[in-house]
Amino acid sequence: MPSEERRERSLSDEVARSSSRRGFLERLGGAVIALAGAPAVTAALLPADAQAEAYTNFCGHTYTTGNCPAPTGLPRIDRNGYPLRASDGVPVDDLGRPVNSRDQPVDAQGNVLTDADGVPLAPAPRTKVCETAGHDYRVDLSLDGSWYRCCGGTVRRIRDCCGDTNVRINGDAALPGYCYPGRHVFCVTYFETSMPC
Amino acid sequence: MLSGALAAIALAALVAGVAGAWSPCGFSMVDTIGTALGDVRRSTMTLATVTFTVGALAGGAVTFGGLALVGSLLGGGAGGLRDAVAAALALAAAAADWRGLRIAPQIRRQVPERWRWIMPLPLACALYGVLLGLGFTTFVLSFAVWALAGMSFAAGSLAFGLIAGVAFGAGRALPVLWIAPRLRREDGQRALDRLALEPRMWLGLRRVDAIALSFCALLLGGAAATAAPAPALSHFGTDPSAAGKALVWERPTTGGWLARPSGTSRIPGRYPAIGGGRFAWIAADGAITVAARFPAPSPRVLPTPAGASVDGLAVSRYWLVVRDQGSHGVANLFAVSLADPKRRVYLQGAGLPGAIGRPSLSGSHVVWTYSDSLRSTLYEVNLATGARSILLQSVRNVLYSNPSLAGRRLLYERTDRCAQDVLLGSSAAAAHARVILTLPSIVTRDPGYQPGYVQNYNTASLCHSRRTGPGATTTLGPTALGATTAWVSESPPNAGATRILAVAI
Repeated sequence: MPSEERRERSLSDEVARSSSRRGFLERLGGAVIALAGAPAVTAALLPADAQAEAYTNFCGHTYTTGNCPAPTGLPRIDRNGYPLRASDGVPVDDLGRPVNSRDQPVDAQGNVLTDADGVPLAPAPRTKVCETAGHDYRVDLSLDGSWYRCCGGTVRRIRDCCGDTNVRINGDAALPGYCYPGRHVFCVTYFETSMPC
Repeated sequence: MLSGALAAIALAALVAGVAGAWSPCGFSMVDTIGTALGDVRRSTMTLATVTFTVGALAGGAVTFGGLALVGSLLGGGAGGLRDAVAAALALAAAAADWRGLRIAPQIRRQVPERWRWIMPLPLACALYGVLLGLGFTTFVLSFAVWALAGMSFAAGSLAFGLIAGVAFGAGRALPVLWIAPRLRREDGQRALDRLALEPRMWLGLRRVDAIALSFCALLLGGAAATAAPAPALSHFGTDPSAAGKALVWERPTTGGWLARPSGTSRIPGRYPAIGGGRFAWIAADGAITVAARFPAPSPRVLPTPAGASVDGLAVSRYWLVVRDQGSHGVANLFAVSLADPKRRVYLQGAGLPGAIGRPSLSGSHVVWTYSDSLRSTLYEVNLATGARSILLQSVRNVLYSNPSLAGRRLLYERTDRCAQDVLLGSSAAAAHARVILTLPSIVTRDPGYQPGYVQNYNTASLCHSRRTGPGATTTLGPTALGATTAWVSESPPNAGATRILAVAI
């Protein structure tokens, strides 16, 4: 990352760090202005299009906190926090293998994978991405608050993986993000809703 | 790679490095550092000696370690061929060095002299050390250098490359360390003169190199022969089981096979197992068959579990362990005493097919894995006492599978989102096993960011051992553990084409 850009992002992080709830003032301001009946002013003063923001790593993720480690790369999760393959939303186990509803590894057609004897391959643990990140980094983590953004035609829920920590996965100071009061974002995940936008 | 071969490699590399002292750069280094060793600046010069040594070690590690790394990236699974190629290179270089042949190809380059004047001496010497340690940036003084490079690449083992590189770097530094500190004294000058005037010393060192390389070729050749699969194993196969010099395995379409030094023969059934002087297999009619020798004129037949089919066996002198699969998908693992077949020890049950792994038996100790979405566990039970222990367990990120037990030695596989590893250790300390074979994971991985967005801070999403995109096409499968060889099944996407790989240990 160029140093200027890095400085800018550090500054934005600093701003976010000094705020207890990111975007609260932004939304409050928007509401006040909108109530005043000045949509043109709203458009001029506030970010017009969420997609136009410079997201980090994946659509919808502002600021610079790193991804939670996920089995296939991008930290896409289901509504319960279990890992999904980002490209198509297929459930995967902790090894990144697509699995069926019984958590057995399956091929692209959904057939249970077998060994050379025809015996199904062993299932592997399938754990929640946020909690597992916490275990890996020795921090007690859970999914706290969220923010929603329009990404690729559907509403995406950005879910912060939070804990009582002042350090994030990047190794530097953690932001409040969407975490509950007093907690900070350790890493980020996202959930793809079914809502078109 | 055998430890003896590694020792021979280290010796060959060390001597090859020392032989480099007879190059223009070698002499220059001794002089550059040695002539400046005055009382006033002794500390600076001592520092220069140290930095030169560090540079030489680093340079050697980079060259030979790098070649080994590149070799490893070009694919694994051909351990026998790699060892054979490395042995051939060692032998060719040994012959050439023994005869003192003119070095070809030769690199007619020298380190930049100007560094000596424009940089602080310690820094210049560090860089000189790196260049000399790299090996191929200046004159090469023995065929061993070329051979070591080729062998590092062919071996594809980072440990091999680093050992060769560090030893070579140490060899390049040794003459400097030996002569430079006393160069301002008469004996030092005499030593340098002797070097310059005695090419026979250089030729003698090349002969030492030749001996070390020959020894190395001998060990590697032996390893290649050990690692080379038996002829029958060049065909597809899985479910290996080993005891002494005998190996049995399953060939998916034709059933069990047995390989011994006396030859290869077909076993009349499936899921063959061997251990404790016993053979076991599932006959064509589904009966569990046990024999003390093979061919077996009158094998012993044990009753098959009712309403279930057996798909895994392990046998020892006094015990047989059976994995079966019921018609309703319930799998069981139990042990049968061969002395008293009515005596059975229930080991594990599972409602999920595949959750119970293939068992392995050594004496009265049986090991197997049980895995579901909550945990993956490697168990051991002493059938004589009933004592049950958990050797390894993971509740996240890791799958344990395909253990093999031979005495207290334990072989098993460990798979995570990045890699598939085969590890060898002790059942008494299973977590401290060493990796003897590794493959990238088979899953498709994205880069951890979406194209079009700022990409950063996502290193935790990545695997350092593999690239993004499709993973390996080979899945590790059942294993067997012999005295000097580990046998590992490797399945391509078409599981019917599974092969058994021999890994020298």
